[in-house]
Amino acid sequence: MMGNLSAKAASAADGRSVGSNRLGGFVNQAGIYGIAFLFIALGAVLQSFGVINNFMSAQNFLNIIDAVALLGIVTVGMAFVTYSGHYADMSVPTTMALAGIVSVEILKYGFVPAVAAALAVGLAIGAINAIVVGRLKANPIIWTLAMNYVTMGVIRFVWVNKQIYPDMKTDDALTLALFDNIFRFRFFDLIGLPVLVLVILMVAGQFLLMRTAYGAQLKLTGSARKAAKFSGINVERVVGIAFILAAFTATIGGLTVTSLSRVGAWYNGAGYDFKAVTAIVIGGMTLAGGRGSIIGVIGGAFVIGLMNNIMTLLGIGTFSQDMIRGAIFIAVVGINAKSLRSLGRDDA
Amino acid sequence: MNADRIGLALEMRQVSKRFPGTIAVDEVSFEVYAGEVHALVGENGAGKSTLMKMLAGSFNDYTGKIFINDKEVELHSPSVAKKFGIGMIYQELSLAKPISIAENILAGRLPRKGFFIDRGAMRTEAKRLMGKVGLDLDPDLPIEDISQHEAQLVEIAKVLGTSPCILVMDEPTSALSREEVERLFDIIDGLRKRGLAIVYISHHLPEIFRIADRVTVMRDGKKVGTKDIAEASREEIVQMMVGRSVKEFYKRRERTIGEVRLRVRGLSRWGFFHDVDFQARRGEILGICGLSGAGRSELARVLVGLDQADAGGIELDGAEVRGEGMAYYLAKGIAYLSEDRKSEGLALRLSVEDNTLSAVIPRLTRGIFFNKKDGAATVRRLLKELSVYPPDPARTVGNLSGGNQQKVLLAKWIASDPKVLILDEPTRGVDIGAKLIIHDAVEKLAEAGNTVVLISSDLPELVGLSDRVMIMRKGRFTREMSYEQCTEEALLLAANGEESA
Amino acid sequence: MRSDKKILAGNKRLAWVDKYRIFVLFALVFLFMSVFAPRFFNVFNLTSIMKTVAMNACVAIGFTIVMICGQLDLSIGTVITFAGVLGLSLKGSLGYAGSVPVAIAAGALVGLFNGLLVAKAKINSFIVTLGTMTILQGAIYTLTGGNTISLSTPDAFAVSDFLAKPLLPLVTPRILITVALVIGFELFLRRTQAGRNFYLVGGNKNTAWLAGIKTDGYTVIAFVLSGALAAVGGVFFAMESSAATLKMGDQSLMYVISATIIGGTAMSGGKGGVFRTVVAILTLEMLYTGIILFGLGNEVKIFIAGLILAAVVLYEAYAVYKHEKEVGKRPELVKELAVGKPGAADKPA
Repeated sequence: MMGNLSAKAASAADGRSVGSNRLGGFVNQAGIYGIAFLFIALGAVLQSFGVINNFMSAQNFLNIIDAVALLGIVTVGMAFVTYSGHYADMSVPTTMALAGIVSVEILKYGFVPAVAAALAVGLAIGAINAIVVGRLKANPIIWTLAMNYVTMGVIRFVWVNKQIYPDMKTDDALTLALFDNIFRFRFFDLIGLPVLVLVILMVAGQFLLMRTAYGAQLKLTGSARKAAKFSGINVERVVGIAFILAAFTATIGGLTVTSLSRVGAWYNGAGYDFKAVTAIVIGGMTLAGGRGSIIGVIGGAFVIGLMNNIMTLLGIGTFSQDMIRGAIFIAVVGINAKSLRSLGRDDA
Repeated sequence: MNADRIGLALEMRQVSKRFPGTIAVDEVSFEVYAGEVHALVGENGAGKSTLMKMLAGSFNDYTGKIFINDKEVELHSPSVAKKFGIGMIYQELSLAKPISIAENILAGRLPRKGFFIDRGAMRTEAKRLMGKVGLDLDPDLPIEDISQHEAQLVEIAKVLGTSPCILVMDEPTSALSREEVERLFDIIDGLRKRGLAIVYISHHLPEIFRIADRVTVMRDGKKVGTKDIAEASREEIVQMMVGRSVKEFYKRRERTIGEVRLRVRGLSRWGFFHDVDFQARRGEILGICGLSGAGRSELARVLVGLDQADAGGIELDGAEVRGEGMAYYLAKGIAYLSEDRKSEGLALRLSVEDNTLSAVIPRLTRGIFFNKKDGAATVRRLLKELSVYPPDPARTVGNLSGGNQQKVLLAKWIASDPKVLILDEPTRGVDIGAKLIIHDAVEKLAEAGNTVVLISSDLPELVGLSDRVMIMRKGRFTREMSYEQCTEEALLLAANGEESA
Repeated sequence: MRSDKKILAGNKRLAWVDKYRIFVLFALVFLFMSVFAPRFFNVFNLTSIMKTVAMNACVAIGFTIVMICGQLDLSIGTVITFAGVLGLSLKGSLGYAGSVPVAIAAGALVGLFNGLLVAKAKINSFIVTLGTMTILQGAIYTLTGGNTISLSTPDAFAVSDFLAKPLLPLVTPRILITVALVIGFELFLRRTQAGRNFYLVGGNKNTAWLAGIKTDGYTVIAFVLSGALAAVGGVFFAMESSAATLKMGDQSLMYVISATIIGGTAMSGGKGGVFRTVVAILTLEMLYTGIILFGLGNEVKIFIAGLILAAVVLYEAYAVYKHEKEVGKRPELVKELAVGKPGAADKPA
């Protein structure tokens, strides 16, 4: 953070303009959590004016956190793909769905095998993406879109378009309860298991990104892939791992969402690709790669959660909310793009 | 070579161009007559390219006057420049790869028949223009299906199609074989006879002495002088380019050269280079000289593991080096500073510190922890040693000047403490001050006992720094020259395949 | 004269197959289906094929143009639905003569928005169209309140009947419109200066700009066309059943992307064509209906559709991978290799 300030000061003396972008800079310095705080403040103000009710209540915030947890889990993995400079993993929705439906199917063998099976399937998808985008360098958007489609086809083919319910697959009360509790278990009646999982993933993800060799290599790969390659970094492997991480968190997200809805279906996970990318972008991670943090993107998810909450309390319909989210998405990317261009200039 | 000097086609009077922090062109006056081939020479960073970019209409903020055929013009955009008959042929081709030759040549002005394009006329016209450069290809072939050399000729044909009166060629022969250079010279001769004024930018003195009528030397943004080729000598030109006698310029320090460290035997990569044999010793700076396209960078890439060799072997300190991937070779101690710092060397969006440590990530890792802070001291030391300005590890590399960027790149590789460091054009696009610092650092590296392999097209640099020079031509090593034998001309001639007198 | 590069390029026949691969595929699929698929030549089957093709072909024309410019338009699915909804819901007040142009104009406006953001604000087209897609989805739901729009007036089916009424066996007005559009755009792209400019912009933006072409303008127009043509497709879809469902256009996105890429239009831009894309759509549709005719379900179709796209993407990626390896080889050295590889036999001094 300090670097930005000293850079600007020094460059003024150097006669070289860094290019300033007030909003982008502010987001960097204040952090996305500052924005979140602004939203909370906004909510409080609206409530004090009687425009909305019930915002500043513990229950409301708990609801927000629960909603954010699910999105957040998926976003952590996707963020690695974005950080690697490959925009997004569009196969996440069906990876979630497949993991979920497989787990329900395998419930008849017990809880643990079900989770294991889900992981196996999810990681397999991740591995395929890793090879095709990492090694063969296919266009990540087109490929993961195609993969999404293929997986959807697989699900609908294997399960013949049907949805399956956990209690169809097993009578064992313990197994059913365990599965149900993936989403519903609460510590001290307050904090849901997904929230805990999110916190763990967030901490682990941030650590991986900021404090390990992999993270440093990923940063270089995302910023300048060729330069990374010429620095001795195995770029293909680094990118591949990012896709596997995305599939991993998608699997966990899939298990959670399936537990939530209590049904294994091909549509579980729909929309999470766009939601995750929006959270990532709002959270300060640029789509060009090499910049941002996990804590930031979760902050982005948090801001989205707050935004949704306030909009709902304001009585704005869900689909209007979609429109607003889409507009904000474009706006944020546009601002980011502008700020990046002015920072990256070189006059030599 | 005669010159039918009909009239002054181009006059640039006291033109200047500033960039933030530097003056790239400083009050330069430059004239070219119709029917003349006028060479423009100077070291990297002398200002030749900027001067020509001015002509191409790339800037709208230059000062001074430009006259074309005695008429004053303001060249503020490429289309204006084209309108006044200026044709530019750059080193990096501006052709669209998936599009056909004919459509590239006639881009934007395809012949029409009513509403539609007249394909027959298009092909005929394309063939006609290609004929002017001696090219006989199917005009419907896409550019990606023809060779680099043919593409360059297409580029020339394209520019000819705009009927220019002034033609600027920037290093046109860097990727050409001897026959191809001859062909090009024939074309240039033909154009000259038809009254075109040709500006020929090149590093290759022998070529210039063959094809040019006059030569203008630039140095540090200023014009040093213009001479008739008939009255000039090579030494004179070189002296004007460098400012001092070359051997004086590089005050060589004494160095002990130790035993053989790197042994390369029969190394081949089919189609890129064949049968390369050489040795390099401790404390030695081994130069590799050759025209671009000779295979030097390809050789370097194999030596450092970016590409795989198809035959032959490498031995470092007596042990065979056979592995896959750059990480392996880097760990063994062979490092490569590549020629394109902007796309292959540096991550322009990241900080100086991130870049400097980018090659030593494994070394800074203990267990799972990557400790960037452990490298901070090294970064600071290197920034100081190389006089990087500003010495701020957090500064975004993309904001540094070219010279400072190159220093950061060098710092990165020095930080990896290599046994053998291969440098590829280490001072390209770098100002004179940074150049001296880099050279100094390279010599210090060698003095410390490391081996340096220096690939460069900057002949004074090669001559000044190297203990020995290997000549590479068309994918093979042809000769070796010792320090005493090394002169710029000798190198140039050898690189071109001719023998010195 | 053969280019030097041909010496490096190798097998000539394979190159031919690659260039005309979509036609080869078309022939193969057609042969296979006509021989093996039950009831393939049934009039109903063929009409159904032509109908789907007609609707998707329009959309694909616009998408192909955008891809030729080197961009991506992910919003076409939602534009289809949006236009269908508009076309039907406004019919009451404006009649078809009014609602259809409004729907098409709406599509064009979305395209304009996309194009301006991509060209002027220089935002990646993936991002922009992903955003517009989401915005439109919201708009659709808001407009319809979540319901399917259907018409129940007596003349509701008149237009769709008209469009579907065969003038000749298999040739309906809808097909005629589509064919006219395809021929028109194909000629435009291949035979006019303006059309070729699209290719140039996609092939190398710098080259186009240096040649005096207004690259930003062409990018914007490409997106406008994509939006407008997607709207035309949407109107076709809606009028087909006189109902506009909320998810109408969703499947089209993958369909059109697949067909465009399979048909030979490269994601990198500068290559491809409308006619090929449409042939690809025909091929895919024959394949899909064939699958249904074989008694396999819809899921199989989706699965195969995904597999085909995946296969094509893999193929393209692999081709690029191999091409990269060849870049930079010296023809003389390669010629030498034909004579015999240098190596242990001769060790130079």
